[in-house]
Amino acid sequence: MNAIVISAVLGVVMMFCGVFTNSKPAVRFVAIIGLLGLLIANVLDMGGYHFFNVNVNGMLAFDIFGLLFNTIAFAATWIYFLLSGRDMERVGVNLAEYFALIFFVLCGIAIVSAFNSLLMLFLGIEIISIPLYILTGSDKRNLKSNEAALKYFLMGAFSTGIMLMGITLLYGAKGSFNMEVIRSGTTTLTPMLAAGLLLLLFAMSFKVSAVPFHFWTPDAYDGAPTVFTSFMATIVKVAGFIAFIRLFEGCFGEVHKQWQLLAAIITAATLFIGNITAVFQQSVKRMLSYSSIAQAGFMLFALVAMNETAKEGLIFYAAAYSLATIGIFAVLLKMKDYTFEGFNGLAKRQPVLAATNTIFLLSLAGIPATAGFWAKFYMLSAAINNGNVMWLVIVGVLCAAVSVYYYFRVIQAMYFKDGEPQEIETSRGFKGLLIVIAAVVVLLGIFPHWLINQLYSFFYL
Amino acid sequence: MDISQVLFYALSAMALGSAIMVVISRNPVHSVLWLIITFFAISGHYILMNAQFLGIVNLIVYAGAIMVLFLFVIMLMNLNAETEPQKNKWLKLAGVVAGGCLLLVLVAALKQAEVKGKVAMLETGDIGLIRNLGKALFTDFVVPFEISSILFLSAMVGAVVIGKK
Repeated sequence: MNAIVISAVLGVVMMFCGVFTNSKPAVRFVAIIGLLGLLIANVLDMGGYHFFNVNVNGMLAFDIFGLLFNTIAFAATWIYFLLSGRDMERVGVNLAEYFALIFFVLCGIAIVSAFNSLLMLFLGIEIISIPLYILTGSDKRNLKSNEAALKYFLMGAFSTGIMLMGITLLYGAKGSFNMEVIRSGTTTLTPMLAAGLLLLLFAMSFKVSAVPFHFWTPDAYDGAPTVFTSFMATIVKVAGFIAFIRLFEGCFGEVHKQWQLLAAIITAATLFIGNITAVFQQSVKRMLSYSSIAQAGFMLFALVAMNETAKEGLIFYAAAYSLATIGIFAVLLKMKDYTFEGFNGLAKRQPVLAATNTIFLLSLAGIPATAGFWAKFYMLSAAINNGNVMWLVIVGVLCAAVSVYYYFRVIQAMYFKDGEPQEIETSRGFKGLLIVIAAVVVLLGIFPHWLINQLYSFFYL
Repeated sequence: MDISQVLFYALSAMALGSAIMVVISRNPVHSVLWLIITFFAISGHYILMNAQFLGIVNLIVYAGAIMVLFLFVIMLMNLNAETEPQKNKWLKLAGVVAGGCLLLVLVAALKQAEVKGKVAMLETGDIGLIRNLGKALFTDFVVPFEISSILFLSAMVGAVVIGKK
């Protein structure tokens, strides 16, 4: 509850910041300090210090899985603020409002990681989505940004409608929004439950951009201001997965066998289409949005496998994927040309940027000794432990091999091609922070057991 | 067949008929007018189920405020049958086939649904009365009720961010 209340209050604080000061560094400073406070409050919540004792009537359930994810999401957002906060100023004049909207999104994330009632799921997903539509369209003079926002809004509203229809059918079948009530006594899928399950599956696949519901993703991510694409493609997307797995484990965990094949087919299609289409992109930004679809395919493994390994793996994946992608976007933001050619010869001019970017790309590709390798490893081992979906593991490994191609194209452009890349001035602090993140990615890759042991100590306290 | 059954069928026919007209009218202004009739029919259903508050709110908010806004926007944009974009014939066919398939599957599945034969409470139910609704809203559902304020606040902030030049 700490996270939900404090993030909402921080959103309001940021709005007042916009009223009382015009100084952009001050606004950014308040946001960074506020987010640090939110992170600490959430960690205290994990340790048993609850600031607010609210009777939630079974609407929310704060378990360690959700709180742990909140910690990772807030920490990733904090790093994102430090790295890219300065770039938000270039989008438009409403800096304080952008920060306020991001805090509202974080409030939504805290809700979807703790919901215990379908009503709260709906509210949480909407609180995440609506600020994102606005952030997508925040570059008001750019036609592409407007188009992306409208497309994202229409698609998002439509998928929310499908989700509500699914919730309605579940309510009709069970007479309650509560997940425990829906779960209890569900040993076979009756027609109404099955219809509700399918509609919810489709709607959630929309939100996490799984194939065949991914068509909005490249346009929305490509059109949105790059600094907000970074936030949308990492923290928000992973939060969608937390909601997805929480919903399906909470409501339909008992009948997992009956929908596992369907989820596996969606996963395989997501891996395949995401990776193959990413190969043909000419713009790094668009390649990254297809790569986010491909990475979504790996995160879907958690849904297919649905065991303890999968849940721990998803947390690990969330950390590894968010850190690496935020880093890549931070470097991308400094480039003037977003095509692959724009990166030609970057290693000579900016060795630090090129080296850290290489580590992040290697991590996304899943090369050993980076965090991304272990993230993929845990996902695949969860699917192997499950035992029913060996063919999916093979598809996953093959697609990971395909992904190496397009990640290495950027590395090749940076190191082995000559060119005069155009980049924006970078500060020393920015480079230092990039090195720290790259070091964390490598450390997690060499000692993954450190984080996993922390997870174990939380899970089995 | 008593009076409430007659009303139920009349309102259902009205709702379905006007909803179909919304989709097939060529003039957008007519579509909006048909949509208003649909809302009236649905409000009638709410009142039949003794949910007066919901019925009235549906009328005031949807048929009243939102539809007037719709009409304004459509009239300002000066849309009419001539400016309607020409859609590909095959695209239309594909849409009809896809939508028809979904309808077929849902109807076939829900035909045997577990609630078949159970009818909604007419006249007797009192959950829709304002007193009971208020009690539920401020006791059992107080957390979502309060949290929805964050949703509205973020939507308002967004409207200002987008609307300001």
